[in-house]
Amino acid sequence: MKTLVVDDFATMRKIVKNVLRQIDITNVTEAENGKQAIEILRADPAYELIVSDWIMPEMTGIEFLKACKEDENIRKVPFVMVTAEAQKDSVLEAIKAGVDNYIVKPFTPDNLQKAIEKAKAKAGK
Amino acid sequence: MDAAFVNPYLVAVQNVFTTMLGIQISMGKPGLKSDKLTSGEVTGVMGFAGDKKGMFSISFTKESTLQVYKSMIGEEAQGVGPEVVDCIGELTNIISGQARVQIEKLGYKLSAALPTVIVGEKVEMSFITKVPVVNLPFTFQVNGTQGQFYLDFSFE
Repeated sequence: MKTLVVDDFATMRKIVKNVLRQIDITNVTEAENGKQAIEILRADPAYELIVSDWIMPEMTGIEFLKACKEDENIRKVPFVMVTAEAQKDSVLEAIKAGVDNYIVKPFTPDNLQKAIEKAKAKAGK
Repeated sequence: MDAAFVNPYLVAVQNVFTTMLGIQISMGKPGLKSDKLTSGEVTGVMGFAGDKKGMFSISFTKESTLQVYKSMIGEEAQGVGPEVVDCIGELTNIISGQARVQIEKLGYKLSAALPTVIVGEKVEMSFITKVPVVNLPFTFQVNGTQGQFYLDFSFE
């Protein structure tokens, strides 16, 4: 499953990739922010999963999410927000913007795996 | 500074260390910081605003930094290089997020900026608030070796 992992912290991209490897997702591209990520997705329509942070420079996760959902070629790709933003308003904002699942840091590998499965099911994948 | 704000940070740090690092921590005696210097050698700092404004920092000894890195990533680092600094920055970010959820339960909404990491001993920091800075000392054990870090916070 071709996956895009978006986070400005290399540490977190590494942690997410390690978890994805445990569930046999090894075809992973990384982006440091939403701007880079949306450019990658627009250049290649083959992505099947997006895992993104929220607080990032250049383009935040929520701005990136909205850009994805407004793009006909990208909006059906399951989008999982993985973020330290745990307050109710943030969660609601992401839901309104169309996130397929939302997981709060700190997370266990099991949490992330379940969040990905739910996002895929919601997106009909 | 209301002592009720100590608990959000305690809960946040415990949750993060247990869930993501698999480390049990113990808190020592809280106090008020008497200087404006970083408490350890690698310090993550985050400011926040909203219903309250202020800053918090989490400051590790060098050895503890490397222990935390290994627990979080599963790899050993030889020194405090860019990957280790990045790791402490992200840890600071996650603890901030968890603390803000707890503080929200007290009725205050806060938003946070991006974290900064300071590498060096006794680096002067300017907390933006005028109220005293609370200092929470913590210890932990990993493979029989003791680790140490400090959480400093202040907001008004």
